[in-house]
Amino acid sequence: MTDGTRVPDLDDEPWYSGKATRRRFVGWGGGILGTAMLVPAPWQAAFGAEKAYKIGTLQPLSGAGAAIGKTAMVGTQMAVDRINKSGGINGRPVELIIADYESKPDVGRRKAEKLVVEDKIDAHQGGSLSNVCLACMPVFEEQKIVNMIGVCLDTTITTSKCSRYTFRSFDYAPAQAVAFAPYLVGKLGKKWHIAYADYAWGQSTRDAYADEIKKVGGQIVGTTGIPLGTADMTAFLSKITGDFDGLFGIFFGKDGITIGNQAFDLGLTKKYKWAGDGAIAESTNLPALGAKIEGFVGINRYVPVLDAPLNTPSHKKFFDEAIIRLKQIDPSGPLPDRYVQSNFEAMNALKIGMVKSGFRGREDTNKLIEALEGLEMKEGDDFPQGDKTLRKEDHQAFLREFIFDIKGGKHRIVEVVSKEKTMFPPACKFSSSS
Amino acid sequence: MLIEQILIQTVNGIVTGMILALVASGLTLIFGIMDVVNFAHGELFMLGAYVGVITLAATGDFWLAFVISTLTIAALGAALYWVTLRPLLGRDALTTILATFGISLVLQNYALWQFGPVARKIQEPVTGHFSFFYLDYPWYRLVIALASAAIIGGLWLFLKFGTFGIWIRATMQDRVMAQAMGIPVPMVLTAVFAIGSGMAAASGVLFGPLVGVNHAMGLDWVLKGFIVVVVGGMGSLGGSIAASILVSLLEAYASLIVSPAQSVIVSFVVLILTLLFRPTGLFVRTPR
Repeated sequence: MTDGTRVPDLDDEPWYSGKATRRRFVGWGGGILGTAMLVPAPWQAAFGAEKAYKIGTLQPLSGAGAAIGKTAMVGTQMAVDRINKSGGINGRPVELIIADYESKPDVGRRKAEKLVVEDKIDAHQGGSLSNVCLACMPVFEEQKIVNMIGVCLDTTITTSKCSRYTFRSFDYAPAQAVAFAPYLVGKLGKKWHIAYADYAWGQSTRDAYADEIKKVGGQIVGTTGIPLGTADMTAFLSKITGDFDGLFGIFFGKDGITIGNQAFDLGLTKKYKWAGDGAIAESTNLPALGAKIEGFVGINRYVPVLDAPLNTPSHKKFFDEAIIRLKQIDPSGPLPDRYVQSNFEAMNALKIGMVKSGFRGREDTNKLIEALEGLEMKEGDDFPQGDKTLRKEDHQAFLREFIFDIKGGKHRIVEVVSKEKTMFPPACKFSSSS
Repeated sequence: MLIEQILIQTVNGIVTGMILALVASGLTLIFGIMDVVNFAHGELFMLGAYVGVITLAATGDFWLAFVISTLTIAALGAALYWVTLRPLLGRDALTTILATFGISLVLQNYALWQFGPVARKIQEPVTGHFSFFYLDYPWYRLVIALASAAIIGGLWLFLKFGTFGIWIRATMQDRVMAQAMGIPVPMVLTAVFAIGSGMAAASGVLFGPLVGVNHAMGLDWVLKGFIVVVVGGMGSLGGSIAASILVSLLEAYASLIVSPAQSVIVSFVVLILTLLFRPTGLFVRTPR
């Protein structure tokens, strides 16, 4: 029953050249695969490589606090580059999203919201100024994102205002005070006057030292709070007089330089023993202090020396690379400070937590918190400063402290206090909502 | 003891007041003649200190560094005026405020990029101390006060007796009439901005040894500078100087009674009271 017309065959269609054979399948497949390998990098990034972890970092890269933010950024960037060079975390690279909060709490809060809502970061590591850290902590808590602080030292961050989502992988004032008070009272003098930066960190640090100095038999004869950023402190320093042994300073950044210069100029550092928080004599402050800071005794979690116990290959590696990177942001070539060190180690602590918990993204925040709680960090390439314990109860780390003095314009370690001797009871109750 | 403290705070207040007067006189000169509120004044103060650091490192001579820095920043001020402010003169005051604010951000971030975050030192030329009751008082603070007084005195003489100074005063009184009388007003305005900038630089170099030089060193001074310019009377040179010393003395005395945080509020209280009861300024004659 044919009508003489020919039924069209698929072979006649111009696009069809025959049956799908295994040979053809392999040939076409190979061609497509080869083409995919040659396509430009952005396409590979979008469809080929493992999706990167997005880690946000809030830093004061402009404004009054930029000096700290810039060196803090060196530490964070160093850690991220090292992580990516060694294959990333869980096989995925880290994309660092940097936000400059211009040294202002309101801008910090806004940028934190942008990081979590628009940039959709998986975790945050950074923060330098305590008032900005405190302003941003509720944002991370609300969005259930782990916040690994890099510099902020205000005591309340891990005490009265603690958050289940916030961790501090470096020391805080109560631990420093526990470590330093016996030295202050035992070797320098019993009666102290405290001059401090009159804001969140300065006030909480003043309270911590006042308590510990009293506990070890010392006495606080007076305190002088000086507003942050005061250029001429002379009127306030001139009032400091009386019968006491030592002047204890709690300042950082340019205020550290101002008090160092002006207390010397008024003869206070000659008349009294001169000690304080290590931030006054940070390596980045020493050039502007010159000989006026000679003899200052301080405590710090990090001092830029290669003497024991910091004469390890890990610390040497960290020290050398930090110097190269710091030279890129400052032609004077400063030595690394505690801001470089604590940001570098904070990022590494986050990395270890992410590996340990098999962290995939925000949905695994709870697993990441569990992995970080009680984390033991061992001295090595990740933690060149030394061993640390990240306490479960308040997310506060304990580590060894260095008591140092300034001699010949350089830091000199005079005593090392082990982390066990810096312990301070936890004073944190995580809110039930978190 | 109280008498000692009052005397010490009197000296502190006068010294701080003289530095502030030097900063404020540049600000008030620029405002009085050009009607420009220069928000970049603090950054010119800071750049002056940086030029001082560089020159001091090269020459080892503080006073040479002081002169070179003043002249360099004066030249920079003239260039800034020509490039950014001259086209805006005569327009809404907001445009010049925004322009100078923009310049301040650019200069501050430039300094951070160029010199980095580490603060630098200017070694003071006089390092001795004298006993002042229970303190070792540094001679250098008195040097700063005297140098500031000398510069302000020089400026006053220049404005009073110099031909160019007379041109400046004429321009201040009536810009159109001055031009009609043949005074080269554009040149006068450029010179005024250059002088104001140079004075900011001079104060930066003088004050640098007390605080260290960094990109944010001008912030505190320029805020206080604005307060005393308003309290003294916008555009009044004598008023700004008197207000600088008054505000600094009040703050110093207040620190004897209240905490430092409360004593720095004094300048703001004076500012608010001035704006409420004598908005033209405390030291300006009110026209009847």
